[in-house]
This record gives sequence, structure tokens and C-alpha cells, in this order.
Amino acid sequence: MVIQLLVAALLTGSIYGLIALGYSLIYRASGIMNLAQGDLMCLGGFMGYTFYNILGLPIFGAMLCTMVSMFLIGCVLERIVVRPIFNRNVSSSALILATVAVSYIVQSLELVIWGGAPLNMKSFLKVQTITFLGVSYQTESLLCIGVALLCMLTLHIFMKKSSFGIAMRAAAMDPIAARSCGINVDQTNRITWAISTSVAGLAGILVGPLYGITTTLGTAMSTKGFASAVVGGYGDMYGALLGGGVLAALETFAAGYLSSSLKQLVAYVAVLIVLFIKPRGLLNVEAVKD
Amino acid sequence: MLTVKNMTLRFGELIANNNVNMEIPDNKIVALIGPNGAGKTTCFNCISGVYTPNEGDIILNDVSIIGKRPCKIHNLGISRTYQIVNLFAEMTVIENVVVAMHDSLKSNFFDSMFHTKKHREEEKAAYERAYELLEFVELQDKAYFEAGSLPYGEQRLLEIVRALAGNPSILLLDEPAAGMNSKEKGDLDIIIKKIMQRMNLSVLMVEHDMDLVMGISDYVYVLNYGKLLAHGTPDEIQQNPDVIEAYLGGDD
Repeated sequence: MVIQLLVAALLTGSIYGLIALGYSLIYRASGIMNLAQGDLMCLGGFMGYTFYNILGLPIFGAMLCTMVSMFLIGCVLERIVVRPIFNRNVSSSALILATVAVSYIVQSLELVIWGGAPLNMKSFLKVQTITFLGVSYQTESLLCIGVALLCMLTLHIFMKKSSFGIAMRAAAMDPIAARSCGINVDQTNRITWAISTSVAGLAGILVGPLYGITTTLGTAMSTKGFASAVVGGYGDMYGALLGGGVLAALETFAAGYLSSSLKQLVAYVAVLIVLFIKPRGLLNVEAVKD
Repeated sequence: MLTVKNMTLRFGELIANNNVNMEIPDNKIVALIGPNGAGKTTCFNCISGVYTPNEGDIILNDVSIIGKRPCKIHNLGISRTYQIVNLFAEMTVIENVVVAMHDSLKSNFFDSMFHTKKHREEEKAAYERAYELLEFVELQDKAYFEAGSLPYGEQRLLEIVRALAGNPSILLLDEPAAGMNSKEKGDLDIIIKKIMQRMNLSVLMVEHDMDLVMGISDYVYVLNYGKLLAHGTPDEIQQNPDVIEAYLGGDD
């Protein structure tokens, strides 16, 4: 049972991680939490449903189309909502409220376009389970974990190795110095929002077969993603992934060994304990410096 | 050549820079001095595009740069360092240099994301040039250290190298010697001259260390209460009664 639970934890964890990643990237770039993250994830789920179930694209094609569409939506969001408010130098609470507004607008649009009934994604693969060393696995879960890990790895290489990624990190660390190094910080910020939105969209597709897609899923996932990001170290990319894994493992194992009604209790008591011991999260660089 | 013409910047009632005129000819080291609060850093901020002056003009090689964004001004050939070291502390030494290169943003997001051949070649060239620049200040052996882990003096040097990465024609140094020990200050003297000659650029520097200023500057501007008090060669400035008065009577 341990192995099945581990797979389940990895699956949930990679979804939490992808959402948390968006929170952290945006926090570093714009200094706020984007409370629309969960609903953008849902939007990704609905888009994935449209590309995969309705238009009949192959699953990887559907994922790619969703990520590209969500990337563009992220650009537009940054340009027409975030940037105009950010440029007025208002308090960050105004900007956070703007993201709340976006989350409700997205929810309502989903309701108008796709309706309120939960949508079930067709299964991604023909073969449902494979057996390896006497343990059977759901192929879909393995696929989702693989895709999520691939996405994280690509992003890691992009941020570490590419000059655009380095510029993005520089802009997030110190926008003033970055500007004087010739970096177009507005542009790197826009790409940051776009990547975060795109990654959230991918999480939305992966969630599809797991929970089904409904407009209300966003709010719940938003909290989970936020919790993961904070536990891992708010603003740290790798912390976000670690936090997602930790939170998912706690939930999954508590549900498996105790009772599923206790999983939230166990997980969130543990979150509080982490906050007491390491208030800045597990992997926060600033914590080391202080 | 950089020309500052009748530049005025107001913060509400306060006039931070009042009708400032300066000229930084090619291949010269020019110093901007004055008591604390005289408006020197403000003047740097105007030239580098952080602030937009209310009046006047700033002209770099016949092109007006006033009102342009800082990243644009950097790419037109004006680089700067900061009074308080402003490195990307969590990045490596060489990444700090690469990030400021023109080429680094030429290949677009998609080239970058998909690691195209063009992109890889550009990147290789960028790292090679960054390495050469680090050799300039003898930091090449620490290329892969985290920038924040360097001793303070070396962080200052790295900041200068980062400013050189954009191939500037004007280098603005804001108190380069601040926080350096006397040996580092002595070396800085040689490094600034070497940079000016080898990189074929002009230096405009704000500095409080008078030995350094008088030792290497070709020309000196003195700012007091936002206004130009005097300008001339180091010798002329040292004899100028107004300057002596401002320094003795000031809070410096």
C-alpha cells in the first residue's frame, strides 16, 4: 500500500506544486499573492476539456494548446489588469484585490461558457493499469506525474541556463538594478505572469481525471497551492515544489493510514507546526540570511 | 560625449538639481563632488533614467536621452554602479555579468525556451566575454561563486564589471571607494584608469575620497544645494575659495 500511496502523493503533490510555483514566481516578480491562481488552474482544466474531449486532440496536443492559450491569457492579464494598477504605486492590497476580482470574473465566465455541471475528462490512456513487481499502477497517474516533472525540469533549466531566465531572476531579485543592467523589467514580469498562468493551466488538465472539473474546484486548489508555497518558502521556486510534495504526502498518508476525514486536520496541523518552527518556510533563502 | 544642459529636477518644493550643466568628453575621468545632500546621486539618477528631469536636456553623442527608460539608456551606452552595492546576491559572479550584456536579451523568449542553436552560440559567446571582463579585475577564479559571498571590496569590483558588460561609452560610478580598505582604494585608482583606456569610455564618478578624486580626475564639478558651485581641473578646484567654504561650512 505504501507504494500506491506514494504514487498518489506524488500526483497530488505535483499538482499542488505546479499551482504553488505560480504563486511563488508571481510573488517574486510583483511582490503580491495572486489569488486567482486556483481559478486560472480551473480555466486550464476547462480548456483542456475543450481541446481533448470536444475537439478531440491527442492528449499531449491538448496539453500544449492549453498551455499556450493560458500563456497568452497570462500576458493579457498582466497587461490589462496588473500593470495599470501596479504603475499607480498603490498598496499591494489593491493589487491583491484585483486578483480576487479576476478570480470571480474567471469563475463566472467558466459558468457561462461551460455550465455548472462537473465535467469528466476522458481518460488519457487506453491501458488503465500496469503491473510492475507485483504492484499495479494507474497509468494515468504515472503520466500526469511524468508531465508535471517534465514541466518543472524544463522550467528549472530555463530559469538557470537561459539568458532570459537569468534576466527574469535578476528582475525579481532587484528590479532597480535589473533596469540599470538593460533588462526590460516590464517584459520579464509579463512573461512571469504568463508562465505562472500557463503552468497553472497544465495543473488544471492533470486535475481533470482526478477530481473532475467544476468551477468551484479553483477556490479549494488555490488554498492548497498557497499553503504549499508558504510551507516551502514563499517566493522560492523549489520551495514551492517541495511544499506541494510535503502537503500532499501528509494528506495522502493521513487519509490512507488514519481516515480520509482526518487528512485535512493532520496536514494543516503539520502546516502550523512548520510555521512555528520555520516561519519563513522550509527553503527560504532569506531565512538563512537573517 | 555626454552633455547635461540646464537640468532641473524638483521634488515638490525642493529643487534637488537646479540648472545643472556638465560636459563629459570622450576618454576622460570626470568627478562630481559636493557635501552630503548636494544632489549628486540625484544627478546620476537623472542621467541613468531613474528620474526624469523637469527641465533641461541630457545628450549622449548627439542623441537626447531624456525621458527614456533606464533599460533603454543602458542599452544606449550609459552604465552605472550604486552607492550601496546592488548585485544579484543569490546569483553566481558570472551570471551577474552575463545578465547585463546586450546580447543576453537579443535572442527572444522562444529561442531561449527551446534552446535553439542560435541561442546556444550567443550564450557561449556571452559567457566567454564575461570571463574576459572578470579577468580585468582578477575575479575570474571566483566566476562560479555566489555573488553575495564575496568580500565587500570584490563585490564593488564585480558591480563595476557588470556595468562594463553592456559596452558603455559612459560609466557612472557612485562612490566606488566607499567601504573599501586603503589597499583596495589604491588598486581602484589603477583599475579605473585601466578601464577607461582599454574599454575606450568616459567615467563620471561621485566620490568623497579626495585623494582618489584629485589623483585620477581630468575635470571636477562641485555641486552644492543642487546647484553647480564650481568646475575646473583638480588643481583649480583645490584652490577655489567657494569650494573650501562649502566643505568647511558644510556638514561633511
